[in-house]
Amino acid sequence: MPGVSRQLAGVSVMAIAPVANEARARGRAGPRRQARTQALWGYLLIGPMMLGFAVFFLFALIVSLGLSFTDWNVLASPNWVGLDNYARLLSDTAFQQALRNTAVLSVPHVVLRIAFSLALAIALNSQIRFRAFYRTIFFIPVLTMPVATGTVWKWLYDPSYGPINYALGQLGLPRPAWLSNPNTALMAVVIVLLWSGVGYDMIIFLAGLQNIPRDYYEAAQLDGAGRWRQFRDITLPLLTPTTFFLVVVAVIHSLQVFDLVYIMTEVEHTTTNQFPTIVYYIYDEAFRNFRMGYATTVAWVLLILILLFTLLQFRLQRRWVHYT
Amino acid sequence: MSKQTPAHLLSRIALHAVLLTVGAIFVLPFAWSIGTSLKPLRDLFVLQPRLIPSEPRWENYADVLNAVPFIQFYLNTILVTAARVIGQVFLASMAAFAFARLRFPGRDLLFFLLLSALMIPEQVLIIPRYILMRELGWLDTYQGLVVPLLFSAFGTFLLRQFFLTIPNDFQEAATLEGANPFQIYWQIYLPLARPALTAFGFLVLLWSWNELLWALIVTNRTEMQVLSVGIALFQGEQFTNTAVLLAAANMATIPILIVFLFFQRQLIEGISLSGLK
Repeated sequence: MPGVSRQLAGVSVMAIAPVANEARARGRAGPRRQARTQALWGYLLIGPMMLGFAVFFLFALIVSLGLSFTDWNVLASPNWVGLDNYARLLSDTAFQQALRNTAVLSVPHVVLRIAFSLALAIALNSQIRFRAFYRTIFFIPVLTMPVATGTVWKWLYDPSYGPINYALGQLGLPRPAWLSNPNTALMAVVIVLLWSGVGYDMIIFLAGLQNIPRDYYEAAQLDGAGRWRQFRDITLPLLTPTTFFLVVVAVIHSLQVFDLVYIMTEVEHTTTNQFPTIVYYIYDEAFRNFRMGYATTVAWVLLILILLFTLLQFRLQRRWVHYT
Repeated sequence: MSKQTPAHLLSRIALHAVLLTVGAIFVLPFAWSIGTSLKPLRDLFVLQPRLIPSEPRWENYADVLNAVPFIQFYLNTILVTAARVIGQVFLASMAAFAFARLRFPGRDLLFFLLLSALMIPEQVLIIPRYILMRELGWLDTYQGLVVPLLFSAFGTFLLRQFFLTIPNDFQEAATLEGANPFQIYWQIYLPLARPALTAFGFLVLLWSWNELLWALIVTNRTEMQVLSVGIALFQGEQFTNTAVLLAAANMATIPILIVFLFFQRQLIEGISLSGLK
């Protein structure tokens, strides 16, 4: 865009021009001149943001794509290896395990997160007393640093000395090994994700519920619709835009789980992980094994997965999301 | 409305019972964390764990400060978070104002380009950013921790939506008075957008205070580490004593809870705002 660069060249002059002069000038200037001045200011004000965006997003994205076709390992200069990294994904069982872990974590996490947060929001949307108190209680885990959350829960889950297994034992139930067994680690991580995330979604659901006009319910009551009918025919459909938004965010969030897994499921004093997720695997490959090229390839798989799932959800939304 | 029927009363009691039970589950990890952080060693590895320590050992908190430069972690976290909050709010609001209220060629195209950043997971960008930091000599520096994370497409989007709800008349009147767009942004739009700015600022603060991945990658020297990294790395190294480790975790969480108590209303409103497009 030659026009843009010409205008940008004038930006520095504009920035230092005394304000009073400029105002006087604009008083005389025609609409064309005014439009140009405004455009210059526009570029000036978005300038810092767009510069950062160009360097840390666009440029980084291009470099990242390039790296994914190399064998760069920090020490030696990168060699072009074509699609080798992508081919390697097909035979890399550790990657496949991380992918599987992420998938089996995402499904229960998204479903339960939506269900629980909606249930809490509906309970708190009634005229119940101590609403603010309950809301705060459910929200506080959202504020807690995931590293701290992971540290606490790791201790809660301790197979021999933790309170969870102690309670299970008192009730005569089996005492699972939780985090030290890859099978139970999944459930353990999902529980912590729910504990720390449900409060956030609850707040957004509450806002969605408050946006539903009261008269809809009044009209339904006049028609003799019971509580359940009102919930099914008014609340749920009118809440679908909110639900849609939260599902999209929850899926993206699930695919990117890292902190908790890093803290909770790494075996003490080693770098073995009982429940590696994709992002954990990227971190491990890049910054512990220094296979930067390959780690970037895995990151691109993550990017493509996120794009695919988001696109798919936007396609499917026509089937179930009601916009009024 | 039939308010005081026995059935109604019963359902209310049942609802409170459910909410209190769920609430107890939500609070228990905090209670356990506080209880355990005050336990002497002999209380830790027992087969019948108790919530309340047999005798509170406050020295566990002092032990954190002796084991690692925890004060330095605090200072680093505060500094980095303050810089990220101020930087993100300033840059995003300025761009948001221009995108919402100024006309210039390519505006919508640039805006949509910026929005595409929302779709890109940070993990794809982290290795090139790391290389960039290395080339600039910014590893183990504050600017390395801060600068790459100053540009929020989300914030620009959120604040642009908010600016669009402010009537245009203010801008027109101020333009006639001879104010330039930056003055209009700074003196009119920023003050009017205070609720949205506070909410967005708190979201940045929360994210920044808790952030782990980038800080883990970009810092190596102990003096440069933030709280999240400090706790993560020293878990199992310096802090072999779980009580001391949990004391550290509690100390990392408390400042956020205090800020939340002050900004609770704004934050809740802000989150509600972010969910409604």
